[in-house]
Amino acid sequence: MASFDCQRLAKMTATALVSLKERADEFSGLDAETGDGDHGTAIVSAMTAVDRVAQQGTELKKVLGDMGFAAMTESCGSTSTLIGAFFLGMSDGVKGESLNAAETASMFSAGLKKVKEQTKASIGDKTMIDALQPAVDAMPANAENGIPAMLQAAAKAAATGAESTKDMVAKFGRARNLGERVIGHLDAGAVSTACMFDAFARGFTAST
Amino acid sequence: MTTQKLIMKKFLNDPENIAAELLEGYTLAYADKVSLMSEKIVVRTHPKSKDKVALVTLGGAGHEPALSGFVGEGMLDASVVGDIFAAPGAPKLLEALKTFNREAGILLVVLNHAGDVMSANMAMELAKREGLNVRMLLTHEDISAGLDTPDEDRRGLAGCVPLFKVAGAAAEAGKSLDEVLEIAERFNKQMATLAVAMTGATHPQNGQAISELPDDEMEIGMGQHGEAGGGRTKILSADETAQRMIEPLISAVDAKAGDKTMLIINGVGATTLMEMNLIFRKAYRVLEAQGIEVISGLVDEILTVQEMAGFQMILCKLDADHVPLLKAPCDTPYWTVR
Repeated sequence: MASFDCQRLAKMTATALVSLKERADEFSGLDAETGDGDHGTAIVSAMTAVDRVAQQGTELKKVLGDMGFAAMTESCGSTSTLIGAFFLGMSDGVKGESLNAAETASMFSAGLKKVKEQTKASIGDKTMIDALQPAVDAMPANAENGIPAMLQAAAKAAATGAESTKDMVAKFGRARNLGERVIGHLDAGAVSTACMFDAFARGFTAST
Repeated sequence: MTTQKLIMKKFLNDPENIAAELLEGYTLAYADKVSLMSEKIVVRTHPKSKDKVALVTLGGAGHEPALSGFVGEGMLDASVVGDIFAAPGAPKLLEALKTFNREAGILLVVLNHAGDVMSANMAMELAKREGLNVRMLLTHEDISAGLDTPDEDRRGLAGCVPLFKVAGAAAEAGKSLDEVLEIAERFNKQMATLAVAMTGATHPQNGQAISELPDDEMEIGMGQHGEAGGGRTKILSADETAQRMIEPLISAVDAKAGDKTMLIINGVGATTLMEMNLIFRKAYRVLEAQGIEVISGLVDEILTVQEMAGFQMILCKLDADHVPLLKAPCDTPYWTVR
């Protein structure tokens, strides 16, 4: 059974950075429909900081905390705080250097908890939470199949969640002011979150 | 909703460096009043004495002169700047709070926008762990979503600027943190803002169009339907626009005959002072007809959104102690009282 450690984490963030960069224009385009049109730049800038720190990590708890701080230090706007909080929270939820599937699920759950402390958004509000929460919630039930399968289940749940934002009215950010006009548009943050989880699943199993 | 990349007519360099370069230019231009403490933290060139409460704020760039334009004697001690339209991260804000930590304490003024509030809350959590003496005040005076909207859903607009003036003067007068907070919070509760837009703006980093409107339409409020007399309409005359905006503001602050107020018309970028003076005139006359006194007026650009056309109308109902604080001397690049 593969376990979650600093090396795997570094591969996951590296894969995520590549995928987010590839789709940055798509995210900005989605954000332009309802927001400032800068989400692609924002998520890439946050993940660049996160990945740089991840590549130098030797202690799991410490590196996750440093990754969170780096996102908030080197990037601006809500995206940097939310992504930063996610990794800070994961750091809170970690004991030891090598995690089994259940421990990995708890770590992600602690990450989600910290994000929810920063935003009152819940499922159905047309935000990144629509992808993040289903992804994290899908993990415990799939833990017994090992980490790769668990991360794939999370990625699938995130993708479904992101897709569901299309029919929603926004309750947060600039999109909130547009009322019904945002129906039919995907939320950029949810789509980039789904992209990140998909990359995490691929990155975890990537051969060194 | 169609969005298109517009060809921007702006004098720019590398989009990545806009915020840093504009702050460099600004602090060079007004070097006798403001300086850069570190990247994206603007402070007073001549600091306030340590025994007085410090006033700190944060927010995205691209809204000049706000917020850094009001750093200086009698107003802000520090403004922590993010990127264009994006709040600075919590660690940057914490850096400023650590620098200004003092026995007298710090008042952190935050405008209610998701990113700003997240950074501020996170920084407050970190500040608490470090034992810093900081209190936070959130401005949320926008009434465009309706008068019965809960505070957390009301945006903080240009009303923060007169609040900086009042809180800054109270701090300068040597009042305690509790007193400064109480005075500012009371001012905060008694002000209201309504915005009107005629044309949108472009995001200077990516050329994205922000809130477009048809050529013959304007929008009072923010796309909410009819609340606060707002929503989209064909373009109205200055008098009619002013009338439609001042009335809900009077209700919002519950101004009555005999009350003293401050009335501000804040241009958001492309609207001329000529138009804004027409608006001020009518709003003043409506207040006057109801026996509400305007003891302080301002027609200017204090918080902008690039080249958006439109303005914010801000009405502040003043208590007796607010009046001398508004009139007290201050010396910042964009608000000076002698």
